[in-house]
Amino acid sequence: MKNSLLIFIFLIILSMSGRTQTKSFYGLYSDRDIYVSGETLLAKIYLPDSIPSRIICLDLVNQNGIRINGVSLAIRDNEAEGYLQLPDSLSSGTYLIRCYQKYNAGKIKTIREIYISSRFDRLEKTDQLKRVAPSSVFPDKKTDMIQISELEKSYPSLSKIEAGIRIDESLLKELDGSLLVSVVQADSSYVSKCYAEQTEQTKSGMIEKKGIIISGIVTDKKNSEPASGITVFLTIPDSIPGFQYFKTQKDGRFFFLLDKYFGSIQAVIQCFGNTPLQRLNVKLDELFAEPGKIPDFRLQSISGTLKETLARNISAVTLRKVFGQNNYAISPYKEKSTEDYPYYGKATHTIDPKLFVDLPDFAEISRELLPGVKYRNYNNEPTLQVINNSTHYYFEENPLILLDGIPVRDLNVIKDMGTSDIERVDICKNERFYGDLRFPGVVAIYSTKKEYSRLPESSQLIRLKLEAIQLPCKLAEPNLTEPSVPDMRQILYWNPATKPGSMLSVQCNASSIIGQFKLSVKGRLKDGTLIFSEKQFEVK
Amino acid sequence: MNTKILHILLIMLFFANSAIVNAQEPLNHNWDKQKIKGVRYMPYPPYSGSPFLNDSWVSGKIEFSNGEISDSLYLRYSAFKDELLYYNKEIASHIVIDKASISGFTFVARDGNTRVFRKQYYDGFMNGDRFFEILSEGETDLIVFRKIILANTMPYKGEGGILMDQNYVSAYQYFFYTPEKGFTYVRINTNAFLEKFAEKDQKPIRKLIRKNRIRITEEESLILAWKIVEKEGFKIIFN
Repeated sequence: MKNSLLIFIFLIILSMSGRTQTKSFYGLYSDRDIYVSGETLLAKIYLPDSIPSRIICLDLVNQNGIRINGVSLAIRDNEAEGYLQLPDSLSSGTYLIRCYQKYNAGKIKTIREIYISSRFDRLEKTDQLKRVAPSSVFPDKKTDMIQISELEKSYPSLSKIEAGIRIDESLLKELDGSLLVSVVQADSSYVSKCYAEQTEQTKSGMIEKKGIIISGIVTDKKNSEPASGITVFLTIPDSIPGFQYFKTQKDGRFFFLLDKYFGSIQAVIQCFGNTPLQRLNVKLDELFAEPGKIPDFRLQSISGTLKETLARNISAVTLRKVFGQNNYAISPYKEKSTEDYPYYGKATHTIDPKLFVDLPDFAEISRELLPGVKYRNYNNEPTLQVINNSTHYYFEENPLILLDGIPVRDLNVIKDMGTSDIERVDICKNERFYGDLRFPGVVAIYSTKKEYSRLPESSQLIRLKLEAIQLPCKLAEPNLTEPSVPDMRQILYWNPATKPGSMLSVQCNASSIIGQFKLSVKGRLKDGTLIFSEKQFEVK
Repeated sequence: MNTKILHILLIMLFFANSAIVNAQEPLNHNWDKQKIKGVRYMPYPPYSGSPFLNDSWVSGKIEFSNGEISDSLYLRYSAFKDELLYYNKEIASHIVIDKASISGFTFVARDGNTRVFRKQYYDGFMNGDRFFEILSEGETDLIVFRKIILANTMPYKGEGGILMDQNYVSAYQYFFYTPEKGFTYVRINTNAFLEKFAEKDQKPIRKLIRKNRIRITEEESLILAWKIVEKEGFKIIFN
């Protein structure tokens, strides 16, 4: 009885601890509260301790919960920072930016409202805007232990702004991680609300411990049943193509890990039946979270000052577009690629067909230029064989045929490729292995156009443009060298990774934009409390 | 009655917790690990002697060029061709791992000793990437290239009664190595070992070796001598 009681108490504690982990929320901050379509939103996210995932998603949804775009940000020291492109085509209105981790997106999300005015809408029509109902406001505390000093009440445009940030010693000991310090345009009549959405949903996905996980399911086209044991390929076409494979589980599901890719990438996911007649259907899971619960909105009238600010911003952004300015700059990719040769091995021969006489099709190219490659097209049924360097016999099976790194089984895809279509051909004349895959020779064709239009449309193939882990970015430097180019920056200073110290200084230049600006300092305490301090000033 | 209710509650809680645990990971293992690249192993000529450092498959791990590690592999090092073989259980194949894709490997030999091999570029005669076994690691490493060569011998009858006149023999090469100064070859005898040091150091080193009752005649004594000398702060002179 005593033992049972002890086990009972232990299990209760265990089940409670399992759930309390998901109760903590993310601190989501954007550079401003109001934007113009076509601009870039800068964001900083504070995450609770002991986050198992390496990735956090940031996306933009409209009032109906329809996702507009999103990015995946790398988490470093329980913090993440990045940017989100606000499409030019957005109509004016309140939007929501959300941050969440994919594995528990159904349970917890932090959502912040922002207002986006369309560059192409006429403001006269805009008299009211929808705001998130005030019942669910996010708890971040204003602190007077962070003092902003030496900041004037007003500055002339294009002048130098200098300020000091004094942090109380006792607060310094309590601070966890870096501070977000920013000097941005602000309008006191519109302060965005942030709230955490928490549900008791128990369905959890895979934790993105190392990088982005792409998942999906393969079904048999005949009976729509999940197809197990099917090899699914993921190819990232490049001069050295990226390649992964996954044998589907009993439930037909497959997973791929993208941990070494950054920025926008093209990817091809495909599978082939285990028998020539088996037809399959491959379907990807949603890359971002479902809309979830949409908050209540209330109509509110737009103040005159906000309307003025919006009009000024639209002009400023339009001018910035004309002069091709952006408010962020992507840092160059620093991580060194370790893949110095393709997954199919070092080529025995690399042939550049352009060094030879023009040949009209692949049959001619293989006959004249490709040593040890036998291409035949009897009765319109092409076959390809590669010689085995070790045995000096041709492999009986078809080799691995790649077009820009993408596996191809139908030789009709390449049969019309002439010299002008081919940049180079890599041939491997041995029996190669990649993990558990076996390739009886490899013929890798790299096309000149790289448009992948030769790949046949099929339910077994998905072409997609993926947003892999976002590359780090920083605020673009103002162009002070060309006086003829107007300086229309709304963000004067943005440092999301400021190391806390008892005395910090902020130096920046005001732009040509006049109006209200604010210097704000945001941070997180060791107990998870989010704190901020801010001071307004005017640029005249 | 109370115990009964408690037991029911216990069972319910157990299932609730197991559901939480089950939701964490998929069923598949190693799906996100780096894959090994290689070619099929073609058997070597069956001369007498062994082309392999270890006659049987041993459990070991490899380190990929990007630092990732794959372990619990069946490994075998071919000292004849300086290549690493692994046995893929899933497809029952002997595979020669691409040298370019790995930076080293480790395995536990039959005698229980862990043997560490590192891929390094050798810039001397027959230059290229080679697997060196690390005998002693420090500011200066003592390493060995465990080369097995084919040597001519008196004719003998090999497998299937075929007449053969070659056999596999070891021709190990020992080096001192630092990343800055490169390699310097050392033979296994006391005088050759002493020649690797400055002239003024040779006498005290000889004394030190003698004091420790070491005669450099084989690998173990070379390692022992080097460890003692290195501890005293003597430096190798690289030519």
